[in-house]
Amino acid sequence: MALPIANQIRRLRFEAGEMTQSELAERIGMTRQTVAAIEAGKYSPSLEAAFRIAHVFGVGLDAVFQWTGEA
Amino acid sequence: MSFREKSAWITLVTVLVCFGAYFTELFGGLAGANHHFGGGWHSLHLLLLSVLALVVLQITLTCIAALTTPKDGRGPADERERLIQLRSHSLGYHVLMVLAVGLFAPAFFGHRGLEMANFALLAVVIATLTVAVAQIFMYRRGV
Repeated sequence: MALPIANQIRRLRFEAGEMTQSELAERIGMTRQTVAAIEAGKYSPSLEAAFRIAHVFGVGLDAVFQWTGEA
Repeated sequence: MSFREKSAWITLVTVLVCFGAYFTELFGGLAGANHHFGGGWHSLHLLLLSVLALVVLQITLTCIAALTTPKDGRGPADERERLIQLRSHSLGYHVLMVLAVGLFAPAFFGHRGLEMANFALLAVVIATLTVAVAQIFMYRRGV
């Protein structure tokens, strides 16, 4: 099921020294499977989780997640 | 695959196998002359054997799953896993409620006692399978 939110997590991980999904998961307090689900667009994280991800990469929220649904 | 997803698969398979065999034997016996629906030692043995098999299988397979799951799949449940648990159990609850009301149907047609208990057990089994299938679907396809 396609969620109306795209993300740049995979690219940001590679730009952050090829961070693995496990490393990102550990830093934001989630499981690797959940990080994989977020990257694949199978799960929309909570606002807190989204902010934690953005904080890990040192970028703003909209640099990580983009709304692709209907306006 | 996370440990919790493996647990859902284990529940699905073991409940299907153990209670599938139990109800097949129970209801299958109805077709024959010597049906066991009314009670007796055979049906008691059948139920105890099914429950014992379920417990042994679940413990064994769960231990294997725990040992074969990498560390990153065995951590505490995060928000996605809690959401999956919440939605699957909510669905299972509603299935159980519908089936519980549906139990009036066999009662109106003269079924009593042990027969009604077996219908109630079947309702619980179906609800349990619903929870497991819902969890597997959400783990695989997304929440």
